[in-house]
Formats: sequence, C-alpha cells, structure tokens
Amino acid sequence: MEPKRIIIALAGNANVGKSSVFNQLTGLSQTVGNWPGKTVERAEGKLHFAGYTITVLDLPGIYSLSTFSIEEIVSRDYIAIERPDVIVNVVDASALERNLYFTIQLLELQAPVVMALNQIDYAARRGVRINVELLSKMLGIPVVPTIAITGVGITELLNTVINIVEGKIKLSGSKIEYGREIEEELVRLENTVREKLPKLVENYPARWISIKLLERDEDIAHRVKESPGGDEVLAAADVAISRIEKIHGEPAPIVIASERYGMASHIAREVTEVISPPKVTLEDRLSSLTAHRILGYPILAAVATLMFTLIFIVGGYLVNILETFFEEMLIPTMDIYLSRFLPQFIVEIINGGLISGVAAGATIALPYIVPFYILLAILEDSGYLPRAAFLMDNLMHKMGLHGKAFIPLLLGYGCNVPACIGCRIMETERERFLAGFVVVLVPCAARSVIILGLAGRYLGLHVALTLYMFDLALIFVLGRIAYRLLPGKPIGLIMEMPPYRVPSPSLVLKKTWVRTKDFIYVALPLIIIGSVALQFLMSSGLIWPIADFMDPLISGWLGLPSLSGIPLIFGVLRKELTLILLAELAGTTSFEHIFTPIQMIVFTLVTMIYIPCIATIAALGHEFGWGKAAGVAAADILLAILLGGVAYRTILISNSLISLRFIGYHT
Amino acid sequence: MLELLELVGASEARNRPVRIGDLACELGYSTDLVEGILKIALKEGLIEYSDDKYRLTSKGRTEVQKHRESYIHETYAHRPGLLGRLARMFEGNIGDWQNHWRRRHGIDGDSLKGFYMNIHDLDGRVEETSSLADLNQGERGIVAFTLGGYGLVRRLAEMGLTPGTEVKVVRSAPFHGPIEISVRGVSLALGRGVASKVYVRKSRWQN
Repeated sequence: MEPKRIIIALAGNANVGKSSVFNQLTGLSQTVGNWPGKTVERAEGKLHFAGYTITVLDLPGIYSLSTFSIEEIVSRDYIAIERPDVIVNVVDASALERNLYFTIQLLELQAPVVMALNQIDYAARRGVRINVELLSKMLGIPVVPTIAITGVGITELLNTVINIVEGKIKLSGSKIEYGREIEEELVRLENTVREKLPKLVENYPARWISIKLLERDEDIAHRVKESPGGDEVLAAADVAISRIEKIHGEPAPIVIASERYGMASHIAREVTEVISPPKVTLEDRLSSLTAHRILGYPILAAVATLMFTLIFIVGGYLVNILETFFEEMLIPTMDIYLSRFLPQFIVEIINGGLISGVAAGATIALPYIVPFYILLAILEDSGYLPRAAFLMDNLMHKMGLHGKAFIPLLLGYGCNVPACIGCRIMETERERFLAGFVVVLVPCAARSVIILGLAGRYLGLHVALTLYMFDLALIFVLGRIAYRLLPGKPIGLIMEMPPYRVPSPSLVLKKTWVRTKDFIYVALPLIIIGSVALQFLMSSGLIWPIADFMDPLISGWLGLPSLSGIPLIFGVLRKELTLILLAELAGTTSFEHIFTPIQMIVFTLVTMIYIPCIATIAALGHEFGWGKAAGVAAADILLAILLGGVAYRTILISNSLISLRFIGYHT
Repeated sequence: MLELLELVGASEARNRPVRIGDLACELGYSTDLVEGILKIALKEGLIEYSDDKYRLTSKGRTEVQKHRESYIHETYAHRPGLLGRLARMFEGNIGDWQNHWRRRHGIDGDSLKGFYMNIHDLDGRVEETSSLADLNQGERGIVAFTLGGYGLVRRLAEMGLTPGTEVKVVRSAPFHGPIEISVRGVSLALGRGVASKVYVRKSRWQN
C-alpha cells in the first residue's frame, strides 16, 4: 500500500523548545533552506509513522501572528493558505499565559491545532502542575504533555496527529469569544466581509479577517483594499473601530490584545495549580549573577577570554595537523602524479588554485570556525547570550543598535558570512543593515590569522592586541557615523530573557552545522574559484602589469614594498591568503626580511579593514541587495587606504620624534 | 486644586460618586479645605454639581488634561540631568500639546489618539504614575499606558504589556542600560528608551 502523506507544521513562540520537538520528530532528515523570495529560514524534515509519510515544517519562532516581521507573515500565510494537515503548537508549560496568547491566535485562524505542552518537567520543578484535561477542554484542542529534550510524549503527539487526520479526534472548533462589545462588531463585520469579499474568504476565515481589520493589521488591510468591494469593508471596519474605541477608551488593537491576554490569563489561572511555593532555583541565582550590574561585566569578560583562548588552542592544534596533511602530503603527491600527464601550467592551476583553495578553506573553517560556533551555540542555548546582550545594550545603543546586535557581532569573530545572515534577528530593515555594516568590520578568524601571524608573531602580542583594540574602536566610531547618516530612528531593545537551561548537544551541533554550512556553501566555492583565478593570473604572468598599475598607491601612499600590492588585491578572495601569497612572491616566509616593523603594522591594518572578502560581499548582497553591498565594500576600501596612509605617516613622524629625542639625550 | 480636579475626573472614569471624605483622605487635607476648594472650582466653572455628584465641566476637563500632559512631559523621554533640563527649559510653555508630541517626540496620530484616551480615563492622579524606567529594582507597578510610536505601543501590547498588567522590575543594568522586567511569568529585557515610554501606577503593596 502506498504510504499516505501528511504535512504538519510546528508553530510557537521563541524559546519554547520548538527545535527540540522538531529534532525529535525528524532526526537527521532535515533540510534547511529559505522561504521562496524571503530571507526567512525554512526547515523541513520527514518521518515515517504508522504507515504515513509525515513532512514536518518548522515555522519561524515568533511571538504573535501580527505583522511586525516577515517571519510572522510567512508563518500565518502558510497556515492560512497552504493549510497543513495539522499544526503542532509547541508551548512552554512554565510560561503558559504568554504562550496561550499565540495559541488563541492560531485558533482564530481556525486551523487544526494540537498542543505540545512542553517542558512540563521544568514547570514541575517550579512547583507548578497543569491540569492537561481541563486545558484541552477549555481550548477545544488535544493537549499532549512533552519533554522534548528527552523525547517524552513525542510518540503520543504523533498518535494524536494521526487520530486527527483520520478523524478519530474531532476538533470541537472552540470559539474564542471576545467581550460583548467586540463580539457584536465582529459578527457585523464578519457578515460584511463574507458578502463583499468572497474571494479573500476562500483563503482566510472571515472572522479572522474581521479581527485583523479591527487590529488594523496593515498586511490584511492592504489585501482587502486590493480586492473589489474592499473599500466598503474598510469603511465598515473603521466605523466598528471607532465604536470600540469609544467604549473602551483604548485604541482597538490594544483592546483586542488586552482581551486576548485576558482570556490567556484566565485559562492559565484555571488550569495551573501551584503545588509548592516557587523556590529560588539555581537558574534564578545564575541569572542574577550573570546579569548583575557590576559582577556581570567581569563574568562576560572572563567568558569571552575563555572562549577565545580555547578556540585558539584547539584551532591552532588542528591547523597544524591539517596543514601538514595538505602541504606535505596531498600537494606534493598530486604534483608528482599530475605532472606525468598534464602540462606544468595546468598542474600549477590545479595544485596552487583548486587544492590550496580547498586547503585554505579547510584549515580556516574547520579548526577555528567550527569550535567557535560550537561554543557560541552552547552559550546561546544555555541562555547566557541574552544576558550578555542585556549587559551590552547600552554600548550598542551608542551605535544606534541595541543589545541583540551583540549576537551577530560575536558571530563575526568566526566568519563574517554567517554573521551577516545572523543580522536577521534585528527587527527593522534599518537595524539589519546597520548591524550588517558593523559586522563586516569584525576581525574574523581569517583576519585574526594575519593579525596574530604577522603583527603578533614579529612585533609581539601587545601590538596585535593594540590592533584589535583599534579595530573595536573603529567599529564603534563607524557604527556611530553610519547611525547618524542612515535615515530613520533607532528602535529600543525588547528581548525575551529565557531562563537558563542545559543545552542539548544535538541542538548545539545542529546550530553549528547550520552556521558552518553558510560558510561552506557561500564562502568556500568563492574561495576556490578565487584561488584558481589567482593562480591563473600568476602562472600566466598577467599579474605584473596590475602590480605596476597599483604601485603609486601601494608604495607611494601606504609606504609598503610594491610586491605587497598583489596579495592585497587577492585578499579580496581570501584574507588569510595575503600572507601566504606574500611569502610566495617574496620567496621567503620570514616576513621580517620583507617588511619593516612599520610596514607590518600598516599591512595588517589595511588587510584588517579593506573590503570584506568576496564571500562576505556575496552574503551582504544576498541580505541587503547588491547596491548596498557594493557601497559597503567601496567604503571599506577607501577607509583602509586612508587609514593605512595616515597610520604610516603618524608612526613615521612619532618614531622620528622619539629618535630625535633619543639623539638629543646622547649629544 | 488640580490634584482635586484630577481625583474628581478619576472617580468619574470609575463611575463612582465623589465623596468629600475620600478626597480629603486621598490628599491628606482636612474636609473643610476640600470643601473650600470644591466651592472655588464650582465658582470658576471647572466642576458642576448635580444628582449628588461632582462632575468635571469641559473647562475643568481641559485643565486636568493639560496638567496631566505637562506632568507626563516632565518625566518623559528627555535626557536625564542638565541637558534634559535645558531642553525642557527651551521648550518653555507649550501651547499646542498635540503638535509638540507629534513634532518633538515623534508620536504619530494613532498612538496620540490612544494616549489622549488613556489620560482621559486615568484611574487616579497622574502623579501616581511613573515611567517603568524610574522604578527601582524589585518594585511593582500596573501598566497605565504606553506613550510612543504606534508600532512600539502595539508591539509592547503583543508582548503582554497591556494596560492593567502587573509588572515587576527584576534588575536594571548600570549606566542607564536596559531593565529586566517580569510580566505574565516571562522575563523581558527592555531598553531604557523603551522602558521610559511605559507608564505604570506603582502598586501599593511592594515585594
């Protein structure tokens, strides 16, 4: 028998354990992509259960179904138009009232909903017991208690889903009732909607459209206006709104939100039983310690230091192994084999381009980026990152951003590509772009290799750290300038602070994979292509005219040896390549023979600032459009050239002043 | 006088008749004094007396409204310290409040309408409200209204900060950083700017 296919969609607030449920349902058979035409992640997975092939779709984690973000529109359009067979509403049992607000909205959409009452263990530890039968009765939907992280209740959840699909459980179609005044207006408006907009009603329930109109939902109002007869409906809605506002003395959307919360809190109170008074738990203590107004900052500094030390120890160790493999085993072997039947020119391109491109990707990505993202995911899932964002909010505000931007900024230390994509957590277009602009200035792992490998190794760690500090200051100043220049107003921080939890290893790995995947899919191909192109230019000798052309800028303004122009050009492809290429061009890896100390500083500085690498430009283009990406790239190049030249002259002058004084002492 | 008018307005909003004893108790004045003030108010046409009830006249209503607006303005979204005081000084006497809120504070039409509805129906004196940002750690309050752009007001309502909701300040970050509040069983971090736009009535019973 052909297995029957059904689709279920997971919906719920952020931080309720939705991804744990998703993981339990689908295991490893997941695909993560984007919603068509939107920069919103779409995760999908499949499983087989009781003769069914079930597709599970993870709707983006949201707070409500109003139009504050693209995520919310994507989710509700999916529910309303695509109509999955069942919607699993994942709910955090320890924050029932808040979560029920969302459940009520799902019920308004008249979707077939099953509630997964998650984290009941956590609620129990807080001394709260929930009457599941009563909750189910009051909402008119099946409720299944789960502990997703350990898999408790998942099978029952699936059974319930199947029972709904087979019609064994009838959904009573509970009607969420508002106050009398609103209900009267709703009934009236619903009739008008049904009468005037037969087309729209095919997609959305008429009652839901009416509620959304009373809430002045822009997206729905727009759709109504587009339909024939829509103007009359909008006029009727306006009349209803003004009547409601007159009675309640509040704007209609606030009245509706209030009433929804009223229902949520009523249900929550009815079904919750406090069996023991809430104790101060370990999580609470940890929370007050790590977000403490004074102690929080040294803890943040300690966590960051520990994290980066760990990464550079582990990373350095892995780099050594991988480099040995590529440079001493793979490339020489390939060289011998390929030379037998291919011309030297092609061999050079394959070895110097293709293979070393892969090698560079692998020696940067795996050793530094992967450990970084594992640690970051642990910090994120445990709940520490929101605390850090809380502490950093003030500083971020100086750049016109708020605390949440701290998270993509941290991501940037691994690789700028996932960091650009991470800017999606910001609420408005403006904030996203501002965060994106700042994030590409963060020294990623590749840039750290240069800072540490050149300035750090030859001039001492203090110089490397000074450069880091300079970069941070630069990020701050540029962020401030961009904030002043960009039109629009900054928005404040509104962020949920989830309680501390023990992170689940599988979710941490999954998150790490998703972020590393951004690097592998976006950055790595470009690195390899760039590498091949570069090798081609080198092997064919086309590179020298370019170098001559660049010379006035490189040696004239920046005071660098003229051969360093070429690595700088190709650093666009891969930042860490600049050092390797420089060594190749100069025929030595002892950089103290190529550069004076001043030149080392200028070179590191320029590499650090000028143009995010090509993969980052691609990510910027993808997220913000190519115009903005080009703008950012051009601004960074100009800035790097400007600062490089200024730094060269400043150091030169201050050095000569010092030496003058020095001479003065002696004579 | 204005305090008294406010209380008259508030009990009107609550649909409760005003008793002189209550007013005196609330303000800590003697009943004689209250009676005296009410008489003056009557004479000036700020309140009217019928069916055993004191009611604000439209003139009185306007006075109360203005008083509330200027009180809220005193505490609203200006920089703390000298700069804020200077800014307010330069603004001087504001004649056209609507225009001022709109121009200077960027509060758009819809939320301005909501704001006026809210201060019209304020339950109690405006002096009893304060912005969430001015609450100390551990203090509780009941959301009275939110004064800001329409988007922000709605977003906060969706997050559960609807009028009448109890909130508790869990902690605040230093240097005018954000504050963490507990609302409907959830911890929420609000930037100082956001918090300063949410006005609460302090709960009498503190924890």
